[in-house]
Amino acid sequence: MAKVAMKVNGKQMSGDVEDRTLLVDFIRDTLALTGTHIGCDTSQCGACTIQLNGRAVKSCTMLAAQAEGADIMTIEGLAQGDKLHPVQQAFTECHALQCGFCTPGMIMASVGLLKDTPKPTDEEIYHGLEGNLCRCTGYINIVKAVKRASQLMAG
Amino acid sequence: MSNAARLEDRRLITGHGRFTADWQLPGQLHAAVVRSDRAHAVIERLDCAAAAKVAGVVAVLTQADIEAAGINPMPGGLSFTGKNGQAMKKPAWPVLAKSHVHFVGQAIAVVIAESASVALDAALLVQIDYRELPAVISFEDALHGGAAQLHAEVPGNLAFEYEDGDERAVANAFATAKYVSRVTAICQRLVGNPMEPRACAAAYDGATDIYTVYTPTQGINGIRNALAQIVNVAKEKVRIVAEDVGGSFGIRSPAYPEHIVCIHAAKRFSRPVKWVGSRTESFVSDNHGRALSLTVELAMNADERFLAIRFDNAADIGAYATSFGAWIGTRNLTVTMGGVYRIPAMYAQSRIAYTNATPVSVYRGAGRPDIAFAIERLVDHAAAEHGFDPVALRRKNFIPCAAMPYKTSNGTTYGCGDFAAVLDDALARADWSSFASRRSRSKGAGKLRGIGIATYLEASGGGAAPKDQVEARWDKTGNVTVYTLAHSSGQGHETTFARIVAGALGMPIERVHVREGDPDVTLVGSGTGGSRSLLGAGSACKVLAENIVGVARTYAARLLEVTESELRYASGRFETHDRSLSIADLAVRLAALTPHPFNLIGEGSFGVTFPNGCHVAEVEIDPQTGRVAVLRHTVVDDSGNVISPNLVEGQIQGGVVQGAGQVLGEQAIYDRHSGQFLSASFMDYPMPKAGIVRSFQLFEHPVPTATNALGAKGVGEAGTSGSIPAMTNAVLDALRPLGVKNIELPATPAVIWNAMARAAQAARVLEQPV
Repeated sequence: MAKVAMKVNGKQMSGDVEDRTLLVDFIRDTLALTGTHIGCDTSQCGACTIQLNGRAVKSCTMLAAQAEGADIMTIEGLAQGDKLHPVQQAFTECHALQCGFCTPGMIMASVGLLKDTPKPTDEEIYHGLEGNLCRCTGYINIVKAVKRASQLMAG
Repeated sequence: MSNAARLEDRRLITGHGRFTADWQLPGQLHAAVVRSDRAHAVIERLDCAAAAKVAGVVAVLTQADIEAAGINPMPGGLSFTGKNGQAMKKPAWPVLAKSHVHFVGQAIAVVIAESASVALDAALLVQIDYRELPAVISFEDALHGGAAQLHAEVPGNLAFEYEDGDERAVANAFATAKYVSRVTAICQRLVGNPMEPRACAAAYDGATDIYTVYTPTQGINGIRNALAQIVNVAKEKVRIVAEDVGGSFGIRSPAYPEHIVCIHAAKRFSRPVKWVGSRTESFVSDNHGRALSLTVELAMNADERFLAIRFDNAADIGAYATSFGAWIGTRNLTVTMGGVYRIPAMYAQSRIAYTNATPVSVYRGAGRPDIAFAIERLVDHAAAEHGFDPVALRRKNFIPCAAMPYKTSNGTTYGCGDFAAVLDDALARADWSSFASRRSRSKGAGKLRGIGIATYLEASGGGAAPKDQVEARWDKTGNVTVYTLAHSSGQGHETTFARIVAGALGMPIERVHVREGDPDVTLVGSGTGGSRSLLGAGSACKVLAENIVGVARTYAARLLEVTESELRYASGRFETHDRSLSIADLAVRLAALTPHPFNLIGEGSFGVTFPNGCHVAEVEIDPQTGRVAVLRHTVVDDSGNVISPNLVEGQIQGGVVQGAGQVLGEQAIYDRHSGQFLSASFMDYPMPKAGIVRSFQLFEHPVPTATNALGAKGVGEAGTSGSIPAMTNAVLDALRPLGVKNIELPATPAVIWNAMARAAQAARVLEQPV
C-alpha cells in the first residue's frame, strides 16, 4: 500500500492505494469522481481522459502513485460553477453526445487538442481525437463541436 | 420541432451521469468471472479450492450452486415453427458451464470477494482441466459432413430451417426470365461495443424478499421478466434500477449469466454483489451481431421488370440460442423481403447453425440492414452485369406511391411511402449527375472514385407488449413528471418526450420531467428496440397530453364559469370571449387535490411503420494502399413526422458510421481451427474513428404514417440499413473499371488491394496471346 496525494480540481486530495492501483481507479473509487469512465482495458478508448499538469492524459495509462504531487482536473472540475467550459457548451449546442459515456473523455481530449491547436482543421481534429472512441455519434457532431468550441474560445 | 440542446446533456457533460459501474452499494461484494479460454471442450476438472482460500474471497460459485438454487437455464429460441412445421432445436444454455464449454468467453465460475482486485486475483487461481474437442466457427464448417457435434440434441449442428414465400411461383418466374443475376451478401460477425462495458449489481432485501438489480438496459420490463423467469421468482420480486445507459444497439436487451449470478449471490451472502465487465469480457461475452450470409437471385423480364427474387440465407447464431438470435436470419429478414420494389414472386429459405462462437443476438437493425444490403447489392450487380442504368432500373421497379397501401407478395402491407421522390431528392442533393467530373478529378490525383446508391425500407415499431402506456404525476408547483418504460441509451427521450408533452400542453419544457426506468411504476409497455420508442412511447405521450387537456377542460369551464362548449383551446390556454386560463396555471390551482386530477395515463397500440430512404455514398480509394475514404454521404430519409430534427440527424449519423465500420473494417475474427477469438480488443477490432465519414448531409422527406399518434416512423436503425449497401456499392463502382465485380466485407485495405491485384492478374491472363 502507498499513500498518494495530489491536487484534484483545485483541492488537495490523498488516499491509501495498492501499489498497482491505476490513476483512473483512484479517481473513481477512492475520490468517488465517477465522471471519469473506463471503456476498455487496452488504453484505446479514451473515456478516462483527464488533464494532468495541463495535458490531456488517459488516466488508465499510469499508476496513481505516478501522479503523486500532480495537478489534476477531471470532468467535474471543468465548468466554473454554473458556467460551462466552452468545450462543454459546444458539445451540448452541437448535439455532440448521445449516451454520454465517452463524453467526459472526449471533452477532456478536445480541451487538450484546442490548447495545442486553437484553430484546428478537420484533419487536425481527426488526428487529435484518434485516441477517443464514440459508438453513438459517428463523430460528425463531435468534429463540429470542436470547431464551435474553437470559435467560442477565440471570443 | 425544435433543435434546442437536450435536457439530459448537462449532467452528462459535467460528469454527473450515473452509469451502472458508478453505483456503490453499502457493504457490496465484488464478482469476477472465470471464463473458458477454449472454444469447445469437456471440463474434466474444475478446482476452485486455491481461489476460495485467498484472503477476502467469500465464495467461488459454479453451476452446482446455480442448480442447487433451482435457477433455470438462460432463455432463448423461437416462438414460431419453420419448414415442414419443425420447431427450433434449442440446447440448454446453463448459466455457468457445467460439463462442456462451447465458446471462448463462456462463464464457468464466479469469484465473490471483498474487493474487485481480490476477486480478479483469485479468479486466476481457479484451475480447469479441459479435454479439447474440435471447434467449428463458421456456418459452412458447422454444417459440413463430419463436423464436430456441438450439442447432442442438435444433429449436424443444424438448429432450424425456415422458409417464407411461394417457392413454386418463384421457380416458374425464373424459368421464363430474360435476365437473371445472383450475388452473395455476407454480413460478417460483429461486436456491438457500446462504450459502457456491461455491468450489473444486485441487492436482496430479506424483509420483503425483493431483489433490486442495477443494470444497463433497453427497458426495465423486459429484463425484469427475463430475470424473474430464470431465477424462478414472481416478477414483482425483481426491481430494476437503470439510469444512464452507455449505448446499447441491441446487446442490452436480454438477461446475461452475470445478472443471474449476482442475484443469486446477493441473497446467499445477504450483501449486494457488483460485477463490472472489462472490454475484453464485452468482446467475448456480449452477444454478437450479424453473422449471416444471404445469397440472392433476381429474375427480370425483357423490359427490366423484376419478376421474382429468391434468397438462400445462412445464419450462424453461435454456441447457444439467445432470445432473439434466430429471428435475425428468419422473420426479421423476410418481413420486408422485396424492399421498396414491386416483385410479384418472392421466396426465402434460411438455415440456422450452431457454432463454437459467442451467441448472436440483435445488433442495430438485426436482419433489416442485412436484407437491404442483399437487395441493393443485387440490384446494382444486376445493372452492371446486364448493362442497365442502376438508377433507372430502381426507378422502374419501385412500388409507386399511388399503389399505397401496398401488400407485398408475401403478405406485408406498407402503409405509405414515396420511393421515387425520395430517390430523386437524394440524387439531386448528392450531385449525382456531376459525378463524372469529380471522378476524373480524382483520377488526375491517382485515386479511384466511386459513387453508390442504396434505397432501403425496414419494418420498425413492433414491440413485445400489447400496448404502450405513459403516466403523468403532477406536483404541488404544477410541474409534471412523465413516466415511461422506453429506455434511452443515447436517443434523448428525456428531451423529445418532454417536447411532445410540453408542446401539446403549451407549457415551458423545463416544467416537464421525463423519468425512465423508475423501478416502481406498474405500466404496460415495450422497452426500447426496433426503432420504436418515439412511435410507441412518444405517441402515448401525445395521447396523455390530449387526455390531460380533456380533463382540464372540465375544470377550466368550472373556474371560468362557462360551459365546456364555450371554451376555445389553443396552445395550452382555454379562452372565453374575455378571459383565459392556461393549463400550467390550472395545474397549480388544482395541486391541492389528491390525487392531482391531471394524474392520468396515455396509452395506445401503435402499429409497425416502414421508414425508408435513399443513401448516396461517394468514396475515394488509394490504389497504392487499398485504403477507402468516405468523402461524402448523403441521406434522404422518410422517417415520417419529426419532433427533434437534431436528434434524428444524430441517430442517422451514428447509424451511418456504424454501417461504415461494418463496410470498412469491423469483424469478429476467429481462428478456424482452434476457435480462438483473434480480434477481441480495441487493438485488433477497428472501431470507426473520427473522420471515417468526412462529410454527411441528411434531408428529411416525410410521408407521415397513420399508424401512430405522431405520424412518426422509426429512425434508430435506418442509418445502418442504408449506409452498408450504399458504401459497398460505391466501393465497387470505384473498382469495377478494374474488373472487380464483388467484394467480401469488411473492405479493409488488404481486401481491396488483393481484389485489385486479382483483377489485374485476370486481365493479364486475358491479354496473353492464345
